Amino acid sequence: MFSSMLEAFLNLFRPIRTLQYPAEEIILPSGYRGLIEHDHEACIYCDKCEKVCPPGAILFFQHEAGEKEYRYNPWLCIYCGECVRACPKPEEALRQSEKKQLSAVAADGANEQWFVWEDACRQSREAYTAAKKSAKIQSKSEE
Amino acid sequence: MRKIETTLPALLNEIGAFYLPKEWHFLSVNGIDLGGGKIELQWIFSRYGVKDEIVIYYALSDYETAVPSIVSLIPSAIMGEREIVDMFGLKVDGAQRGLYLDPDSLPHPLRGES
Amino acid sequence: MKKTIQIPLGSQHISLLEPIRFKFECENEKIIGVDADVGFVHRGVELACTRSFEFKQVGYVVARVCGLCAITHTLSYTLAAEKLLGYEANDRIKYLRMLMVELDRIHSHMLCLAHTAENAGFEALFMQIMGDRELIMEVQEAISGNRIQFDYISIGGVNRDLTSELSALIRKNLGLLAEKIDTLIGLFDNNWSLSLRYKGVGVLSLEDAYTYNALGPLARAAGLATDVRAETSDFPYEEIGYKMILESTGDIHARNFVRLREIVNSIEICRNIIENLPVGEIQEKAKGKPNGEAVIRVEAPRGELFYLVRGSGQNMLDRVRIKTPTFSAIPAMMEVFKGSEYADAPAILASFDPCMSCTAK
Repeated sequence: MFSSMLEAFLNLFRPIRTLQYPAEEIILPSGYRGLIEHDHEACIYCDKCEKVCPPGAILFFQHEAGEKEYRYNPWLCIYCGECVRACPKPEEALRQSEKKQLSAVAADGANEQWFVWEDACRQSREAYTAAKKSAKIQSKSEE
Repeated sequence: MRKIETTLPALLNEIGAFYLPKEWHFLSVNGIDLGGGKIELQWIFSRYGVKDEIVIYYALSDYETAVPSIVSLIPSAIMGEREIVDMFGLKVDGAQRGLYLDPDSLPHPLRGES
Repeated sequence: MKKTIQIPLGSQHISLLEPIRFKFECENEKIIGVDADVGFVHRGVELACTRSFEFKQVGYVVARVCGLCAITHTLSYTLAAEKLLGYEANDRIKYLRMLMVELDRIHSHMLCLAHTAENAGFEALFMQIMGDRELIMEVQEAISGNRIQFDYISIGGVNRDLTSELSALIRKNLGLLAEKIDTLIGLFDNNWSLSLRYKGVGVLSLEDAYTYNALGPLARAAGLATDVRAETSDFPYEEIGYKMILESTGDIHARNFVRLREIVNSIEICRNIIENLPVGEIQEKAKGKPNGEAVIRVEAPRGELFYLVRGSGQNMLDRVRIKTPTFSAIPAMMEVFKGSEYADAPAILASFDPCMSCTAK
């Protein structure tokens, strides 16, 4: 009982245990799971990362000419790294950095804009497969 | 894991003959939607101090039939029974709706067709 | 005229961490009847697991059921899914998984002890325990790369390996923590505001523990020898120095001591794991689609966590049943409240270590 009172008194003279956050910087441990980074050159666009992503934070937009565009939502991402493990060229095409994402502000459109993107990506794919199909039918009928 | 088939009318007698409070730990009541308005109900027990011994009593039923309550034998079953009332919209004596769901929630979220 | 009065506790109350509402039927200061409402944070995880996510992603979904025992939820689901795929992990994976679960147990128990201290009016000790708890949080962050949502376990293995620097950090922090726990045991035993306040309060008898199917530290404090670690063979717990901790009085003091002694035991287990870590791969291929029914029990910090997973050879599962420890402990909790003073209710509740987001899932 008295030892704990003494302890409590001594605590008055001990250094502060908390971090004075905005003044001091938080030091993240090495290996911190941060933002997913994508390399356009190395990526083979196999869509594996999109399929495994639990929250659906990676989407590919299909352009009419055939190439795909990588889209990533850092505010939806849960930073599990499943996409990097599924990637056939990890560390080249897709890697997990140690950078931290700042909170979204209204201008980022973290919610509404992403729903618009989701729809756009789905429609772009449907349009692309439909165009491919009709092209195939056309080429067959020409034969 | 040992599965024993039973029927709803015979349930109380079977569990009453089987369950000894000092030997068996009652885990939970569980429901699994089988599609087509059918449901599999499970009463799960494990044995104290024995490795990997789990006994599941199961009965096939539909959503209209009332499920007998085992609270008279195992008081702690009330939680599991209230849960299946909420999740599957079943009728269990003495268990009312509202453990998880609010009046404006989906009527029975885990049923197949909902 | 009615002789009793109804006093509510919650759903928002200064002593509560999470929303739960009790309606106490009181006769003067004595509680004679209890009614509980636990479903304030229902999110429909079970439904989401079978409708919106494929079986490989479900492990990350169930981790979001609860922040404190995120690792045990993922582990239980992963074990069940692996059973359905017919895969058994190698020893290194098993040991790494056990390490994370035991670290989780240490910091969860410390949180509970901090709150029981706070509810005795000992705010300074609350701060001190929460500060010491950082030692474990630091280790977990360094191992998994994240502070709360570890996402460490996946089907077929674990996501990161234990390097030698990490083992050194764990050894250092566990050493520091072991000393602090020794002081804490002294404090909880001798300090008047903790020991006198908590002895004989909130008693669960052994008979009631059997009748109401109590589990976890709540049951072990009452002398009911049940621990899933001793009742399943998924992990080699006996090899690495697991001991069952039992108390007999069943009051808040006994529950605190079960937790304190379990922390000591868990520190021992963690040390043994690091010293005897087998070599092997940390990720193996688990192929196929889940087919059949699997039942898994894992000892979470608060008691037994139960998963029932059923699949039919598809990417989507048929059923994921989650039975969390607090959910099954509620009937026993309500029994403990009957007969105690209303003023003790917050302290009794804190000593159960209830987790409402687990319960309502």
